[in-house]
Amino acid sequence: MPLIEFVSAIVGFVLTLMVFSYLIGDNPLFRFAVYLFVGVASGYAAAVIVNDILLARLQSLPLGDPALLVIGLIPLLLAATLLAKLFPRISWLGNFAMAVLVGVGAATAIGGALTGTLIPQAEAAVDAVDPRSLTGLVGGGVMLLGTVTTLAYFQFGAKRAADGTVKRNAAVEALAWVGRVFIAVTLGVVFAGVYTAALTALIERLNSLILFLKSILGL
Amino acid sequence: MMRVLTAALAIASGIIVLLGYFLRQVFPLFEQLRLLLTDWAVVIAAAAVLVGILNLVTVQMDKLRARQPGGLYGALMVFALVVTFGLGLVFGTDHTFLRAAMDAVIAPVEASLLAILAVTLVYASIRLLRRRTDLMSVIFLVAMLLFLIAAMPKPFGPLPLVDQLILDLTSLLSTAGARGLLIGVALGTLLTGLRVLFGMDRPYGGN
Repeated sequence: MPLIEFVSAIVGFVLTLMVFSYLIGDNPLFRFAVYLFVGVASGYAAAVIVNDILLARLQSLPLGDPALLVIGLIPLLLAATLLAKLFPRISWLGNFAMAVLVGVGAATAIGGALTGTLIPQAEAAVDAVDPRSLTGLVGGGVMLLGTVTTLAYFQFGAKRAADGTVKRNAAVEALAWVGRVFIAVTLGVVFAGVYTAALTALIERLNSLILFLKSILGL
Repeated sequence: MMRVLTAALAIASGIIVLLGYFLRQVFPLFEQLRLLLTDWAVVIAAAAVLVGILNLVTVQMDKLRARQPGGLYGALMVFALVVTFGLGLVFGTDHTFLRAAMDAVIAPVEASLLAILAVTLVYASIRLLRRRTDLMSVIFLVAMLLFLIAAMPKPFGPLPLVDQLILDLTSLLSTAGARGLLIGVALGTLLTGLRVLFGMDRPYGGN
């Protein structure tokens, strides 16, 4: 095993044990591992951003074409103004870059929500109901009922009753109750999925610890 | 004046991107502008992450200077950040040193954090039953247990019919709920985006 791989394996082994020490409670070893992780991950992200995005853009500027040069320089200048956000007195300089980012982000989110989620999901909810077969009718009907009632749960429009209490419409309240059942089942299944992933990671980590010990002891 | 300028910039760039989305067949120019603005946004977003990292360093250094509890951990974090960033800058992100940092620190700690989640999730579900034993908590836990029993490998092999029935039933109910949640999230995203484009919300500092 090359030296750098051997050192990596030892560091990985020790850090794994440090993170696992959290199971007996929050302690300095766990904190050491987590802070080190955040530092290395942030440093890596910063290196990728500077090397692969900012410097790469700067190096690829078309110096021979003034129009393209200006177009290429604008995002870099806007990016540079963002650094002003670190200094309260001149932080307003970064507002222009933030405005472009938020405007483009909002429009992209609207486009994505409409074409990627709202329209296809609404179509799928309706298409699931197939009146030609009993299973299609029942399955699709349950699916449609679940979708509608889940949405009804998040309908918080209410009226003030004569006694001063604020209440939802009785029909919406009933739909919302059914919606809660669907949401509870959905979150239960999502929880099970996350648990399965966590369990897989636990098995992988324990396996790597055992393999490392075996390789050290020559077993 | 500044408020108006930043709001106009946000609204104009948002509308151009939206027009590029929905009128690309009729006006191909808007599609080109959309791609250009999105490309600009990528560069600005990268710089924003960099600013966030610099802010993280500043906060940790302030903590160390003020001798607050946990300041030494902050120093460790900043040291690791500076060393990794320096190595990445000098040798490039594909170099063996950076790959070693990935193999030795990032991958094992990430996987270990996910692994301890397996234990904390069990603890959380036990606490849920102790603190709130209502119908919805019971439905949540029963759905979770049934799904786990049906999906996980068993020493005696899968239960014929029962496993498939449980998976089909939980899949039907959870797909319906997830679809409702997804549509709800999309509606929320749509409204939030529209509020930004109408200038009602100005999260870029124009308020």
